[in-house]
Amino acid sequence: MQKMKVALYLVLALTLLVGMVGCGPAATEAPAEPPAEEAPTAVPPEATTAPPMEEAKPYEGVELSLASMTDQYVAAFRYLIPVFEEETGIKVVMDELGYVDLRTKTVADFVGDTAQYDLMTVDIVWSGEYGANGYTLALDDFMARDAEEMNLDDIMPVAWTLGEWEGKHYAFPLAGYANVLNYRADLLAEAGIEPPATQEELLAAAQALTKEDGSQYGIALLGAGSAGAQDFMAFVQQHGGTILDADGNVKVNTPENVAILEFFGSLFDYAPPGAADYWWDQRESAFRDGIVAMMEGWSIARAGYENPEISNIVGLVDITKAPVSEGMEPQYGFGGWGIGINADSDPVKQEAAWEFIKWVTSEEVQKEWLRHDGAPIRRSTLTDPELVAEYPWLPLMLESFEKGNGDYRPRFPQYSIVEDALGTYVNAFLTGQETAQDALDKAQTQIEANMP
Amino acid sequence: MTQSFTKTMRRFITNDGSYLLLALPLLIFVVVIAIYPLFFSFRISLFDYRLTDPNQTQTFVGFGNYLRAFTDEVITNSVKATLVYVAGTVVVEILLGLGMALLLSAETRIAQIIRSFLLIPMALPPLVVGLVWKSLYNVDFGIIPYYLAQLGIDLGRGPLSELHLAMPSIILVDVWEWTPLVMILFLAGIKSLPTEPYEAATVDGASRLQSFWYLTLPLLKPTFLVVLLLRTMQSFKVFDTIYATTAGGPGTLTTVLNYQIYKVGLTFFDMGYAAALANILLVIVAILSILYIMVLERQQL
Repeated sequence: MQKMKVALYLVLALTLLVGMVGCGPAATEAPAEPPAEEAPTAVPPEATTAPPMEEAKPYEGVELSLASMTDQYVAAFRYLIPVFEEETGIKVVMDELGYVDLRTKTVADFVGDTAQYDLMTVDIVWSGEYGANGYTLALDDFMARDAEEMNLDDIMPVAWTLGEWEGKHYAFPLAGYANVLNYRADLLAEAGIEPPATQEELLAAAQALTKEDGSQYGIALLGAGSAGAQDFMAFVQQHGGTILDADGNVKVNTPENVAILEFFGSLFDYAPPGAADYWWDQRESAFRDGIVAMMEGWSIARAGYENPEISNIVGLVDITKAPVSEGMEPQYGFGGWGIGINADSDPVKQEAAWEFIKWVTSEEVQKEWLRHDGAPIRRSTLTDPELVAEYPWLPLMLESFEKGNGDYRPRFPQYSIVEDALGTYVNAFLTGQETAQDALDKAQTQIEANMP
Repeated sequence: MTQSFTKTMRRFITNDGSYLLLALPLLIFVVVIAIYPLFFSFRISLFDYRLTDPNQTQTFVGFGNYLRAFTDEVITNSVKATLVYVAGTVVVEILLGLGMALLLSAETRIAQIIRSFLLIPMALPPLVVGLVWKSLYNVDFGIIPYYLAQLGIDLGRGPLSELHLAMPSIILVDVWEWTPLVMILFLAGIKSLPTEPYEAATVDGASRLQSFWYLTLPLLKPTFLVVLLLRTMQSFKVFDTIYATTAGGPGTLTTVLNYQIYKVGLTFFDMGYAAALANILLVIVAILSILYIMVLERQQL
């Protein structure tokens, strides 16, 4: 009898657990559902803006798989893919992946020649590695063939760094990001502080805007892993430094970089206590939550601050150019994503994938792309009067793009080794495990040990 | 046990072959799943073999990868971190698990209900557990630092980013998840104990503490061995919870060996070195397991 009861409880507990565990996969699938349902209602307005392409659907029935980073632009993909499918008959299945997973999964796909993904978003910093190893297809033949219809001169010059390696294009520009300074106009006005124009003013403003009681912090930063490494490199760029020596070899532990790391560390005194552990999403949450006054970051999240569903700071944010060190010729960090075609994919799929790239980066579609949280790559998008009226910060982005530097994070094939070492040891410095000098020395040692 | 083993072996060899035939599926399975990969990993650990190399050249380097591991400061650190993690989790889990098993061994209704609920953490995927704890620990938005702050305890950069808190914090996650398993194993051990020695002890006037110390503990030795082996091996292999919580940080503090192997293998795709590190981990675990068995078996005889 007792045993029966125990067994009964066990069965109960198990069903409970199976239910809970079962929720895992279902929950990850769920986000993909709503856009699919939205699609039918979304198509009619789109059909009127897009030119009628009824003549031929040469790749009808081809199925493409797209590996996309879960950045803001994934929302634009969700909206646009059904439209593309409708127009061309090409089916695009999107797999939404986080930064680390996206890289691990696609590189495993490349080195194993398994061609699981036909299209993939390529971070600007991976372009050298993908190009040098021939992971993604060089698009130059396609581009030469279709140059006329694509109006390639319209694409911002700096945007080509999103996929160029040694003169060839291994990914097509998809989403251009400019490093800007977001700030709370209300808090700065209240404290009587002008938006900082230099790094020195940034530090002073961060200090002045931090409240003792922990209710408000001066600045939100990134401190962990790839994100921390990239934030540090952004500050190196803004201080006019470099992590390469004159011969192009990696040299992170120079006295200048040590000083910049110490400056970076002093900013953390005015950041939320958890910032040393922040990745991009947590920094974003902190700013949207309203506990920080300033945040340097990619221009992409700006529209989200005006969305009351995800933001506590609607109408309070302004944006300005990323401050550079005093006396330095202004130059702004540029980043973002290209979109590449798997070199192992079937040629028919590659052609169909190129159709997708051409379509999504075309002048007309780019407007919808921007309206659905995509990021711009074309001058025509950035200067479109209608869009500028909707998004008044576009001229600022245009200026940042004009003076953009897409190479402050070296885009060579060994980039991931540099990023991993910096990610580990910048975090070690920020958490007090190492001094700035030791941290960068150790990063340098690790980089040299892992370089092939 | 050794006797029955030799007997089986003798029968195995002298028999007409039907034994072998019946064991064949299992043998094939073990060779394909365990022995072949083991040899394969040993083979590639002797090569400089990088998947990201476009020419896929494999240069023979002998024990070069192993020598590199012994001089690599990152590896020595990660071995230390692993040992701290294993010691922390295994000791705490055994103490807590044994205590809970004794507490809940009574067949009362409440004990039964609590026991079945305690199984929940064990059945959750470690990655999910890690993500949940990461948000609980988040110093700016998480619930644990919030309530500790209410009590006047300042966590600084947060449980996962402070040097002295990071390791205990991830040990706590592991303890939360795996103590129930240890409890179940001890519970099974306690339930299967003979009652006669206890009756004799009661007749002889032994106190409950004495009968626990002189009877329960020695009689539970086989269970201790199982728990120690199981938990030590699992703790050495920890990956998911660390991947989801600290990702090896702050700095390199919680980069355990298995996490470092993942980084070398799946971030740098340096397969030769990763295989060498995996083999080193295997040897460490094997040595520890043999030590456990020797110590506990000898005491029993």
